[in-house]
Amino acid sequence: MTLINPKVPVTFDKIQKSFGAVRVLEELNLAVEPGEFLVLLGASGSGKTTALRILSGLETATSGSVMIGDREVTHVLPKYRDISMVFQSYALYPHKTVAENIGYPLKVRGVAKADAEVQIKDAAAQVQLGDLLHRYPRELSGGQRQRVALARAIVRRPSVFLMDEPLSNLDAKLRGHMRAELKHMQNTLGTTTIYVTHDQIEAMTLARRVAILEKGILQQLATPAEIYNNPANLFVAQFIGSPPMNVVHGQLDGAVFHSNGAKVDVPVSGKVAKAILGVRPEDCTVVSPAKGNVAAEIYTVELIGDHTLVTVKSGSDMVTVKAPKDFNGKTGEKIGVLLTKDRLFVFDAATGERVR
Amino acid sequence: MSVTGLKFEESRRGLMERLFEAPAIGKMSPAAKFVVYGFLLFWTIFVLFPIYWVVITAFKSAQVVNEGPYYIPFVDFSPTLDGWRAQFATDPFCDLAAVGRQLGLYVYNSVAFILSPFVAIAPMEPQICKVFLAYTNSFVISIGSTTLCMIIGSMAAYALARIQYKPKFGNIFMFVLLALGAIVATNYAGLHWAASGAIGLALFFLLARAFGKHFDAQLGNGDILFWIISQRILPPIVVIFPIYMMFQAVGLIDTHLALILVYAVANLPIVVWLMHDFFASLPIELEESAQLDGATRFGIFWDIVLPLTRPGLAAITLLTLILNWNEYILAVFLSLSKAQTMPIMVAAKNAGERGILWWEMCAIIVVMIIPVIIMAIFLQRFIAKGVLLGAVKG
Repeated sequence: MTLINPKVPVTFDKIQKSFGAVRVLEELNLAVEPGEFLVLLGASGSGKTTALRILSGLETATSGSVMIGDREVTHVLPKYRDISMVFQSYALYPHKTVAENIGYPLKVRGVAKADAEVQIKDAAAQVQLGDLLHRYPRELSGGQRQRVALARAIVRRPSVFLMDEPLSNLDAKLRGHMRAELKHMQNTLGTTTIYVTHDQIEAMTLARRVAILEKGILQQLATPAEIYNNPANLFVAQFIGSPPMNVVHGQLDGAVFHSNGAKVDVPVSGKVAKAILGVRPEDCTVVSPAKGNVAAEIYTVELIGDHTLVTVKSGSDMVTVKAPKDFNGKTGEKIGVLLTKDRLFVFDAATGERVR
Repeated sequence: MSVTGLKFEESRRGLMERLFEAPAIGKMSPAAKFVVYGFLLFWTIFVLFPIYWVVITAFKSAQVVNEGPYYIPFVDFSPTLDGWRAQFATDPFCDLAAVGRQLGLYVYNSVAFILSPFVAIAPMEPQICKVFLAYTNSFVISIGSTTLCMIIGSMAAYALARIQYKPKFGNIFMFVLLALGAIVATNYAGLHWAASGAIGLALFFLLARAFGKHFDAQLGNGDILFWIISQRILPPIVVIFPIYMMFQAVGLIDTHLALILVYAVANLPIVVWLMHDFFASLPIELEESAQLDGATRFGIFWDIVLPLTRPGLAAITLLTLILNWNEYILAVFLSLSKAQTMPIMVAAKNAGERGILWWEMCAIIVVMIIPVIIMAIFLQRFIAKGVLLGAVKG
């Protein structure tokens, strides 16, 4: 059975939220496109969950307005917003069976029993729960509980899905599996989805666009590739990428970055007294001391599997380099590091803004 | 110092270690076991002996009781049914039919009471022996007041656990002043009570709207909770005279309604206080999820919250039932004969001309404690743990 889902946009317009004197969200403007899978990414305390809860109606904004479709819902009760939410803790009703849990949204809407049964079976089948309908949540594994929560969210075909770190209670292997299923499901249903997470891998893999929040301020809203390749500021650059981007403190003078006597040609020019050079581990190469831009010595070598992480020390700065898996080097060995020029980022140390 | 001195060696365990060392964390050493179980055994006997004494005394004759302590029936003394006959065989109407008739009378008299402003229906007079009257009264009053108390108390506790109330201190002060004003107006200015009440309320709402926002000092849920529990600090005897006079003025003395209301109010603080903890410990995501799913607040309470607090509800219902079942002081003042409860029957055996009729008193006590034991066994099934299992987390 396939249902054409309404694809609706969601708009946050100048949303502010304070808890007492604490500002959690500072004027959030965010337009989610119809049918989009948007991930709100941020560390804990960044305001991402608050933004989601304001959209769900569980929290009211201090000022600003929220639109779902062309309807303003800022002061509309949650149940009239036509949204469903998956909680981090799943929030299953422990005294109800799987079928009753999935069917609860239908029950409170007074859907006829026969109709409800069909829809429950349909939703359960979509998350491969068909044969567990008569179990209680306590008899399920973590992954199965997660599926019940998902089924309960999809069963009434809402116009927007909200997901608050739905995978963070699963173990790593299951998380990867559920991530793929979630993406597939969203693709099939085509429902506008807003997904909150602190996990950059989830954000990068799931999202069509990622919105990065920090201290209640939207740092960048772009596709995962854009965010990775073209970060708007130092925070975004350091937040995304594993291992994180290397940073070296120094000065920018013309198109040359100076640090501890080393000079590196950069693709931008300007004059910044306190600048930061950012370079991703995969954009560095370990070479012989004579060939590199920077002279350094090996601090530690970690074999990951498909590659090796080499941490080198140059002056007081540590730089992580992604090297081939057969890399051979000893701690203390003198080497050189070659930086790919057009993959270097320069930031203003005072503001964190990118120097372009 | 040699290194070996720092190591424990099992082979060198002495008698003391053997006795006092627990085999594992969470287990008891042999000596501890002996002490603990010995004490528990002693305590069990200590607690159960009075009950044993009551049961055997119920089967003693007057002579056996007066001659001195006899402990073992059939050996020390031969049991009789004297105490039971005096209660159940001498009075007329000491049968199940009388109990049925009495239950019918409650319904009939309740309807008569409700209709009394419109039609005068003479209430029926009970036709039942004293013990059975007190027994049915005790049932009706304790079950009635417990039900009322649990309904009001659990809803109040839920509201206090989930809704943040911020009553302004100034508004409360204003309300008290206006209430006093209404009382004065009714009693000294000859205003009808309905009129003065309505005027007082109207004034309160107008003034609260007009000035409420200018008051700064406000109370929170914690203050309200403490206020509620503080009602239990006063001993009941302190408030019994005002209650007596109030009920006398409205003609409720010696009625079941009076006792049901007073018991419900007296136990409300306990119910609210205890249930509040149960509600507050529920994960709030369940209610938020239900809210998003479209349930109403009452729907959430009924469908999600109450089933999950069933162990608490059962335990507190049992506690309230037992408190009501055993209540004596309030019943002494508020019931004369028709609404007498079992504890008063028991106490009455102390006041006869022939001294204390221990064997009769014990027979009544035996009858009185049986339902409590049955209730405890019945409700104990619900006081199980683990209902919340599987609600949250993986």
